[in-house]
Amino acid sequence: MGEFLPFVGFTPWEICVTICNTLITFLIVKKFLFKPVRKMMAAREEEVQDMYAVAEKTQTEAEQLRSEYTGRLAKAKEEANEIVSSATRRATVRSEEILKESSQQATAMVKKAETNIALERQKAMNEIKDEIAGLSVMIASKVVEKDINVADHERLIEDFIDKVG
Amino acid sequence: MGEIAINGPKVLWELPESIPLIGGQPITETMRNAWIVMLFILILCVTLTWHMKKIPKGKQVLAEKAVLMIDNLVDTSMGEGCHSFSPYIATLLMFSFFGSLASLFFMRPVTGDLNTTLGWALMTFVLITFNNIKYKGFGGYLKGFLEPVFVMAPLNVLSEIATPVSMSFRHFGNIAGGLVISTLILGALQALSNLVVGFLPVPLLQVGLPGILSLYFDLFTSAMQAFIFSMLTMAYVGNAREA
Repeated sequence: MGEFLPFVGFTPWEICVTICNTLITFLIVKKFLFKPVRKMMAAREEEVQDMYAVAEKTQTEAEQLRSEYTGRLAKAKEEANEIVSSATRRATVRSEEILKESSQQATAMVKKAETNIALERQKAMNEIKDEIAGLSVMIASKVVEKDINVADHERLIEDFIDKVG
Repeated sequence: MGEIAINGPKVLWELPESIPLIGGQPITETMRNAWIVMLFILILCVTLTWHMKKIPKGKQVLAEKAVLMIDNLVDTSMGEGCHSFSPYIATLLMFSFFGSLASLFFMRPVTGDLNTTLGWALMTFVLITFNNIKYKGFGGYLKGFLEPVFVMAPLNVLSEIATPVSMSFRHFGNIAGGLVISTLILGALQALSNLVVGFLPVPLLQVGLPGILSLYFDLFTSAMQAFIFSMLTMAYVGNAREA
């Protein structure tokens, strides 16, 4: 059995050793526990902050794009409305024009037809007149059996017909 | 048979006289155990922080949790901006806790030696005084002894000195007391079992009770005293910084 120090003793040498031990342990704990852990946590914090910054940037960009697209969409809708309304207006005008034109055409056609009819009638009338005159001359010549001058007769008959109407 | 001895730390070896200044000084059981504990702390720290990754896993979570807890503790009891003290507090906590727990591994507890706790208490005392002088100025520190009235000066000096003494004796006393009680009970149980069931080759009655008592004297007291010592250090140093 070796020697024993007193149970409750005070030896400066041992205190010195304890202090040295503690300082060494302090360095160990600082260098091998706190330093790497702190470094790692700082790195992680930085990364998280970076991620947040990126996310925020992306979000603002997205927001901007969204508002841009919303604006564009609204504009496009407005344009479409305008196009539709203008087309409608134009169509209305055109249809009115067409109606007017067609009615005009119809009127013109009616008029032309009337003129034609009148002309035909006139022509027919003249033909009839000629026929009647011929007939009359024939009948008269038959009746009178006297060869009178055809020209005189025709003139006479035409005078007669004119008088009759 | 049945002889029990409660001794101080055993002297394992004496430094040869040829070494200047420290020749002839003893290397004691306490020192050896302290070195074992230090080795353990070194291995623990290195293992916990081995190959750390950005996404923590397993033991790394433990290391980070420990660091955060100690930082928190320092923040709450010393105020903000004292994180440089965290490693020292962690050192005290670990050294004290594992030093006391050494008794679970058939070693004399490191803290069961007054010189160990007194060494720590002196370090704390130096920190307190250093911070006092740093934040109050040397004159302010000396003037602090005269408050509230100058007749209190001797008492103030006494209380200043009593701080490390009470801290070291509290810690030492708790661990050493546990050691003494455990040894006594172990001895008593051995005697009793020799008397009652002496025909057995083993002291049967030593099974049970010492284990349960060890839960209190070793585990609980170790944790408690380590915590108290660290808390007191933080409180005193924080107090010195605030003033």
